[in-house]
Amino acid sequence: MESAILFGLVFFLLLSGVPVAISLGLSSLIIIAFFSTDSVSSVAQQLFTASQNYTLLAIPFFILAAAFMSTGGVAQRIIRFAIACVGSFRGGLAMASVLACMLFAALSGSSPSTVVAIGTIAIAGMRQVGYSKEFAAGVIANAGTLGILIPPSIVMVVYSAATDVSVGRMFLAGVIPGIIAGLMLMLAIYIVARIRNLPKGDWLGWSEFFHAGKDAAWGLFLIIIILGGIYGGVFTPTEAAAVSAVYSFMIALFIYRDIGPLKKTRFIKESDSVSARNGFFAWVYGLSLFSVVMILSYFAAGEDQIETRFPIAVIVAALGGVAYIVLKQRGAALIGSVGVGFVILLRNIAESLLRVPAAVTHKDTRKAMMDAARTAIMLMFIIVNALIFAHVLTSERIPQAITDWMLQAGFDWFTFLIAINILLLIGGQFMEPSGLLLIVAPVVFPIAVQLGVDPVHLGIIMVVNMEIGMITPPIGLNLFVTSGITGMSLVQVVKAALPFVAVLFLFLILVTYVPILSTFLPTTLMGPEIITR
Amino acid sequence: MNTLLLNYPIGVLAVFVALYFALDRAFPRFMAVFEEAFIALILAAMTLVAFIQVVLRYGFNAGFQGALELNRILFAWLILFGMSYAVRINAHLGIDSLIRLFPPRVFRFFAVFGAFAALVYAIALLYADWLQPLGASTRGGGAVDYWWKMYRVGIGLDDLMYPGFLVEFAGQERVHRWVAYIILPVGLGLLAMRCIQALVDIVRGKRELIIASHEAEDLVEENRNVLKD
Repeated sequence: MESAILFGLVFFLLLSGVPVAISLGLSSLIIIAFFSTDSVSSVAQQLFTASQNYTLLAIPFFILAAAFMSTGGVAQRIIRFAIACVGSFRGGLAMASVLACMLFAALSGSSPSTVVAIGTIAIAGMRQVGYSKEFAAGVIANAGTLGILIPPSIVMVVYSAATDVSVGRMFLAGVIPGIIAGLMLMLAIYIVARIRNLPKGDWLGWSEFFHAGKDAAWGLFLIIIILGGIYGGVFTPTEAAAVSAVYSFMIALFIYRDIGPLKKTRFIKESDSVSARNGFFAWVYGLSLFSVVMILSYFAAGEDQIETRFPIAVIVAALGGVAYIVLKQRGAALIGSVGVGFVILLRNIAESLLRVPAAVTHKDTRKAMMDAARTAIMLMFIIVNALIFAHVLTSERIPQAITDWMLQAGFDWFTFLIAINILLLIGGQFMEPSGLLLIVAPVVFPIAVQLGVDPVHLGIIMVVNMEIGMITPPIGLNLFVTSGITGMSLVQVVKAALPFVAVLFLFLILVTYVPILSTFLPTTLMGPEIITR
Repeated sequence: MNTLLLNYPIGVLAVFVALYFALDRAFPRFMAVFEEAFIALILAAMTLVAFIQVVLRYGFNAGFQGALELNRILFAWLILFGMSYAVRINAHLGIDSLIRLFPPRVFRFFAVFGAFAALVYAIALLYADWLQPLGASTRGGGAVDYWWKMYRVGIGLDDLMYPGFLVEFAGQERVHRWVAYIILPVGLGLLAMRCIQALVDIVRGKRELIIASHEAEDLVEENRNVLKD
């Protein structure tokens, strides 16, 4: 009875234009006030405790990191690198867009920002070389959904908060499916390109590959910080998120300098000599190598072996730096170059440090902060209310009732997963992913455990369903975004995206019935899972 | 002030919200900047506290007590202060595709209803006893009551301490729990105020809905038609 009223209320409020968060919160509140013995104070208290959830604390940080990473230059560099990788195939530019979306997804964790950042550049590029606008838009709208499957992913953090599965495991579990989804999309593009004889780019050579890779490396290193940091046991996912927010801020304002007070300032002035330039770069490469070796060996070996790690890093860095100068200048004026380069390095460091106050208060920084805060508040308010709702569900023992019913009805894991997929696909048409996940997860999680479905696997299935929800009408977020930036109507975008949605459906079936894809990495790297419930 | 708070917590909150509303009407630009700056500062503080904690732990094998608790409280402040801000800038998500199918008058009704439901949510969470005549068992209910009990007892938080110069003033070392939790009634009070504002605006025809139809509306607006032929 209560459960019928609860669900009825939620659906009624949702569909009559009440904010999603309020629909969930108000229904729970009404049930508690009128049908349960709990006090309303307990709901108010939960509003506060849910807002303090440590796992969810990662969400605003990841959103902030994405806001700094989305500021133009990073996407540009990633696309260049992606083109250097796969651009020479038939349909290469479209495949490169998919690869760029995958890489960007590994930095940002949000689908709409992936679509805007990569889409605005890639769609224009594809049209220039003769792809149709529909094809380009369809590719981007679909590839953009990888944002929530490839770690870091906000939706995975939400799933972990709802079910107490470790965030680290979920992130690892997303890696292989994310890569497979990307490859499947690329394969589909290749086949279409073969049939329609779409243009093919030139192989730009290894030198372009390395230059583009080097240029994108500052951004892509974030992947290593996040994944390496979590699995090396250096920090918790929440701390990893905070570190990546600060790292993104520094990269965007002080290294790439696409925004902020240093926008027009170059590292090398025109008056600097060639040997000074080479020396400077030798120092930069040396120092980067040093930090990379130190960080990677830390992840691998832990902090104990500082005596061996430090000299190795110094030697690698020195060799790298010297090799760079020797290659550039054929051995001439090595010492001088190193000396002048050091002066320029100091000059740049001083310049950056002097601009720190300006950078922190710059209007670009403020804008990124506010964009992130707005998204975080909106999302978190939904999540907090969904948590209250989930609490009411559990206290009314609704999951228990549904579990008993499903077991009686003779569901096994195979049919159960079909049921989940259908439920989520329908739900995903109407609800924002994190909110839907928080409502569905507490209900289906106990059943899944009873039927022997791995919790991590269940999480990945849910995430893939959310992906499909993002590109199917009526509430497909990526459709709105793609339609907005291309000026195409929603119907046109839906049609354009449709062939690739079919690919994602195939992918969903694959992920649903081949659990090893999701569980292989977490089980191998973190040991078998202990289910405590 | 102390007696006032102990005896009339709801009255004090109402006066505070009314003052905030008056300020907002008198200096709308200033208050908009204030709200944004406050939110941005909370977010920045959270990020820095978490980051510095990592650096201290791995760089210097140190850390400061209560950092985690501070961060979690800041997080709650971000959400609970931000919820009213999100009403003002129309950032709350909702589903408008169904109600848009109706004729304009019905649509208007639902638009008002949406704002009204949000208002009921805020007020019921603040103080639920008015639901009792309707048959609810609220048992002393709502955020104000919850906060008031903490204020009366004066218990402290688990880890977070007052900085040295404040200890004497506060009378104890641990930060009072009511200080952290004050955002709960205040945030809900501001939410109620913004909902009334939205309600009035919708009735007057100055605002269409209290919801945004998807989370990326601003992002799309900034990049609207950048690729149009």
